[in-house]
Amino acid sequence: MTSVTKRIGAPRTNLWESLGFARVWGFFRSVRLALVLILALAAVLLIGTILQQVPPSIRADGAAYEQWLEQARLKYGPWTDLLEHLDFFSVFQAPYFRALIALLVINIVVCTLNRWRSISITVFRSRVRMTDGFFQHARFNATFESPMPAPEAARRMKRSLSFARYRVNTETGAQSIALLADKNRFSVYGTFLTHLSIVLILAGAVIGGVFGFKDPQFVVAEDSTRGVAGTELSVRLEHFADEYYLDGRPKDFRSEVTLFKDGQEVKRATIRVNSPLRYDGITFHQSFYGQTAVMKVEDSGGRELYRGGVPLSWQTRDGGRPAGLLTLSEQGISVWVIGPRPGENDPLVRPGEMRLEIYNPDGDVDRLETLTQGEPKEIDGLTFTFERESRFTGLKVVKDPGVTIIWVACTLLVLGIVVLFYFPRRRAWALLTERPDGTTEVKLAMPSQRNLSPAGDFRRLRTRVGRVLLSTSATLRSKDGEGGDRA
Amino acid sequence: MLELSRYAFIAAIAAVSAALALHVVAAIPWRGFSVLSLAGRGAMATEASPAFRATTGRFAITLGVNAFLFLTAALILRTIEAGHGPFSNMYEFSLAFAWGTLAIYLYFDARYRLPAMAFLVLPVALGLLLYATTLSDEIAPLVPALQNDLLLTIHVAVAILAYGAFTVAFGAAVLYLIRSHSEVDWLPSHSVLDEVTYRSVMVGFPMLALVIILGAVWAEIAWGAYWSWDPKETASLVTWLIYGGYLHARVMRGWSGDRSAWFVVGGFAATMFTYFGNYFFSGLHSYA
Ligand code: HEM
Repeated sequence: MTSVTKRIGAPRTNLWESLGFARVWGFFRSVRLALVLILALAAVLLIGTILQQVPPSIRADGAAYEQWLEQARLKYGPWTDLLEHLDFFSVFQAPYFRALIALLVINIVVCTLNRWRSISITVFRSRVRMTDGFFQHARFNATFESPMPAPEAARRMKRSLSFARYRVNTETGAQSIALLADKNRFSVYGTFLTHLSIVLILAGAVIGGVFGFKDPQFVVAEDSTRGVAGTELSVRLEHFADEYYLDGRPKDFRSEVTLFKDGQEVKRATIRVNSPLRYDGITFHQSFYGQTAVMKVEDSGGRELYRGGVPLSWQTRDGGRPAGLLTLSEQGISVWVIGPRPGENDPLVRPGEMRLEIYNPDGDVDRLETLTQGEPKEIDGLTFTFERESRFTGLKVVKDPGVTIIWVACTLLVLGIVVLFYFPRRRAWALLTERPDGTTEVKLAMPSQRNLSPAGDFRRLRTRVGRVLLSTSATLRSKDGEGGDRA
Repeated sequence: MLELSRYAFIAAIAAVSAALALHVVAAIPWRGFSVLSLAGRGAMATEASPAFRATTGRFAITLGVNAFLFLTAALILRTIEAGHGPFSNMYEFSLAFAWGTLAIYLYFDARYRLPAMAFLVLPVALGLLLYATTLSDEIAPLVPALQNDLLLTIHVAVAILAYGAFTVAFGAAVLYLIRSHSEVDWLPSHSVLDEVTYRSVMVGFPMLALVIILGAVWAEIAWGAYWSWDPKETASLVTWLIYGGYLHARVMRGWSGDRSAWFVVGGFAATMFTYFGNYFFSGLHSYA
């Protein structure tokens, strides 16, 4: 029987060893690695705050990126190419940044698995009886003389320590009674809670990236409706309003909208900067706003080809005039509607006017025209009218199923730290030995803790125990007198 | 109301300066002066009695408490006048930072009796207040993104206390390092300084976590993205990571002691970088 078990057991260990798993495991369970990773991450993030970072959308567009690098060159001079080569302008997307995060996750998971069992054993099956050597060498210890017999002393200690929120276990032996007092024993799981929350936060971010989407430029003109791609929702903007303080600083932006699902009205709401509209896991945030040109286009027979708002949500390359695109798909024509440059006298487009750039199906400019508000104008057989001005709202539409996970994980993270820091685990052991004359010698000991010195708790414990034991004399020892001298 | 707030602010500057000066007086072993004055009029044989030094020390602490109360008054009066908490510009935030630093320092001083800490912590508080005198103290209206009162109030209030705790941790860590490198008998023991450092990081670390999280909650509401690698939030994360490094280093063989104290010094540098970051980087926070 024994030989069979051995034969099954041995190769497994060998395989484990020969593939180097043991070494990999040893590498990843180390706290030293954690320290290195934390410092490396801090360094990378610091680079990300000091150096200008290129927005990912520009990074993805070759020409725009070149242009961005040109302006970076003005600032960083000859270093620019090196910094670019090291991905220092996009550290948050850099492969080494992701690798560091991945290593951190493995490190945390391995570290947790590695410690879980041994920590659980100390929580659920802590030894009650300790050796004499332990009592002698413990960082904090004290010896009491009590006039009562051991069982009575144990009972009193148990009652008093329970009152002080210690959980007390006793073990009665032939010569002595052993006692373990354990407070906040689950506190040690706070470390796991904190560490695993970090993994959970990262998981939430990944889930959001994979299953979510965002449209930062969701533009809806007043009195028009627009569908949200990939959903059954559509949004109608009833009205947009903005308010300012007397000194010109913005005070309030709000979009009054109606939300439809499959064409049915499901909600009316006012979206403000600090109060987004949430529905079905989709969030609409107030982001920007602008001018809309309400246009009408008719063919020569008087048939209406287009009627509605054209949001001027783009800017022209030449001088920053607001512009919007009107497409007449039947005719294959695209028309850029261009408004006056805001805040100054624009010689090209005056207030109350709209300029049209009409592109033919080949994408070439066909005509340039200027419309005056309310005056129809015939262009190539079509009648264009600029009816009036109104507004559009720019919403940011976000779906992020990871957000809930992240908020839960953040709560657990803080909770874990608070439990670990403010409800620290404390364990004290006692050994009660009854003498032939019916008096009892009680040894009390508390080991040091790596993170926070239990000196204060030990002092309180010692006072309490001395009192309930009606102790006549107490010998106090602790290695540098810290337990004794501040009593 | 605003005038009163300004007077209280000035009184606080005076009280912090006076407290610092008295701490210096209380710490000097006056014998040294008799040597100096030998060159002049002859020996000043009177060595100040320990009682004199103790009284001066007590006065210094009382002045520190006064500075804290004046600052509290300045902040409350300003809040009443403005109708919102002190978080709309660097002037208000600097006062609040100094307030948080004094609050945490006075707490630890009351608990551990650490006169030497005054030399590191009070100059930081004084520096913040003097810096505030260079800034405009006009009350500005709140732009829309800042109008989320409750969230913002908690976000900033917790940040102030966290920064204060990190300043105190910095003071204790520097004293720890001084003690390691020179023979000075008037400093508290290594174990006390280590405990004070650790305890103040224990206060600051979870608080900074909360600050970052509340910032993320607020960003999600206001901008639709809980995290956008904005320089200010990234710098806070760096700060938090450095203190996380400290917590690990402190319990690691070969890294406890001086090395972990250096983490706390680095963490304070990161705190300052985050605080004054608006001068280095631009981002969503640059209105603050
Ligand atoms: C950003 C990442 C991390 C953060 C924020 C973090 C946070 C913490 C905190 C707050 C503590 C409690 C310290 C104390 O009780 O004084 C701690 C302890 C600990 N951490 Fe981490 N940690 C991180 C990464 C890691 C990793 C990757 C490992 C894996 C090796 C690790 C292993 C440990 C261990 C073993 C302890 C217990 C130390 C002790 O109490 O003796 N940590 N960590």
